[in-house]
Amino acid sequence: MSRAFDWLDKRYGLTPLVDFLKHKEVPVGGHSMVWYYLGGTTLFFFASQVCTGLLLLLFYQPGEATAYESIRFITTKVPFGWLVRSLHCWSAHLMIVSLIVHMFSTFFLKAYRPPRELSWVTGFVLFMLALGFGFSGYLLPWNELAFFATSVGTDSMKAVPGIGDWLLQVLRGGTDVSAQTLYRFFALHVVALPLITVGLVGGHLLFIQRQGMAPAMGTHVARRGLRFFPDFLLRDLLLWLLCLILLATLAVSLPYGPGLPGVEWELGKKANPLAPAYPGIKPEWYFLWVYQLLKEFPPHILGMEGPQAAILLVSVMLGIWAAVPWLDRRAQRDESSTAFSDLGVAAILFVGYLTLKAWDIGGKGLKVPDTFAVARATSIITVIVAAAIFALRRFAYQHRFFLLSGAATLQIALHGFLRVSYLNAGIVSVLLIAAGFAYLRLRPGPSVPPRLGVAP
Amino acid sequence: MPDEGCPLKKKRSRRGFIDIMLGLGFMGSTASVVYPVLRYLKPLGPSGAQGPMKLTKEDQAKLEREHMLIVRSGTTRILVFEDGQQKLRALDARCTHEGCTVQFVPGESLIWCACHNGKFDLDGRVLSGPPPRPLAQYSCTREADGSLVVNTDRKKEEA
Repeated sequence: MSRAFDWLDKRYGLTPLVDFLKHKEVPVGGHSMVWYYLGGTTLFFFASQVCTGLLLLLFYQPGEATAYESIRFITTKVPFGWLVRSLHCWSAHLMIVSLIVHMFSTFFLKAYRPPRELSWVTGFVLFMLALGFGFSGYLLPWNELAFFATSVGTDSMKAVPGIGDWLLQVLRGGTDVSAQTLYRFFALHVVALPLITVGLVGGHLLFIQRQGMAPAMGTHVARRGLRFFPDFLLRDLLLWLLCLILLATLAVSLPYGPGLPGVEWELGKKANPLAPAYPGIKPEWYFLWVYQLLKEFPPHILGMEGPQAAILLVSVMLGIWAAVPWLDRRAQRDESSTAFSDLGVAAILFVGYLTLKAWDIGGKGLKVPDTFAVARATSIITVIVAAAIFALRRFAYQHRFFLLSGAATLQIALHGFLRVSYLNAGIVSVLLIAAGFAYLRLRPGPSVPPRLGVAP
Repeated sequence: MPDEGCPLKKKRSRRGFIDIMLGLGFMGSTASVVYPVLRYLKPLGPSGAQGPMKLTKEDQAKLEREHMLIVRSGTTRILVFEDGQQKLRALDARCTHEGCTVQFVPGESLIWCACHNGKFDLDGRVLSGPPPRPLAQYSCTREADGSLVVNTDRKKEEA
């Protein structure tokens, strides 16, 4: 072993690298260590995706006459084929869950603050790529759900100003979703996206290796650290083992998903472009909030068509999210920035409410549920959650800024309890935010005006 | 090394010229890579027959059985259905909201899109929900021999 190392060391000079790894430490103290492990678990699920995806590739055949049939062959004829597909689907969902928790923990700990802006941005792009993986992989079984999900998802491309139509056609390989779309999505899903993702993950990890993990706010240099080798790595490996056990248990016991809309992968019927969309059709759970927003928007608003305005709003929100390291000036100075914590809570309430509503909770399982009943039931849940978060922040963390999360809660309450339309309730909330910021700026005395450009 | 006797200005303009040529060359070679790729990505034009379309026997049987039928003509999908007065109608089957495929609901005399709950009347006008535009209308006629023909040119008032 040592002779092999000497041989390599002589040729490639490994000693400095080994010294670096020996001295690598993970900051301890300030906040719970739990959050440091979530990037690792996301990486673990991504690795599972690559392995199971490779196995699926051995039998999958893209094409109008073969895609659906080959997936059915994998799940019914190939020994353990059902397991491989189930693992691929489950680890995809778990990867997105892990990624979202990782992103929000990074957000609330303000780990995006200088000098780690690019870690945040690469992470944001990786999040978008993960959604792209989910979206492109969805079409590959060529079943009914795949067909309509892709029709809707690609159709929203036409909202892009100027090149929308061109983009739509390039993505679909024609004016409609067809076998051409399947070929294009297949190429994206198994070649283009993985290559870009691996490159970006490399960059993301390199930044973290160079800078180390972000210490807690206000502690520039950690007082003491945990050695990465072997202490942190062994903990990481143990957690990966637990993830594998969770993944395997879920994949074996629920091979077609938990049966919730947006979290199921029964093969169903083969896609038929000449069949109408069936009732209760829904996209994957992480797209449900956009789906619900598209439903809430009226046909025309502010001189735009409804869907165009909805997609514009989503793009602006995601843009703000990506630019947070530059918007949060207080965190840049290593001061606590509760306004941005509040922005994160508002984002959770906003997205969470739309997702619950898209799930028709309180709709009593009707084919076309009563929209008011759904709005009320989901509002009750969201307002209770909002109150719990408020209490936690106010009393455990002594936060004093609640304007954004308060406005988000107000919108939900107005819509759910007083039957104000979702958009009108949103306008009331935006006005409240504007008035709140105006008050904070004009108020005499030592105020803490958060420098926030746009409200959610 | 600057050439003795050669004015610096002249030298600089020569360097500037070379820089411009280099830049142009770089842009030209980038364009010569990007353009073919963009053209390659853009799909070919629509193929398949356009113009009036005669329904097959199977299609007609399906229409009678299910009161509705979706047929493809070139790049459009057309919803053909029979209203309460046994009159044949034809509308664009693609919802103007996000492109899902609509359906005829015979009991309620309306056209419904299951994706985002858009509702249209039998002339394709928006009744409720998020669709921003009406569905295009087509005409459907019964020939003397009993066969059905869908005219794939949009009706005048909609065009």
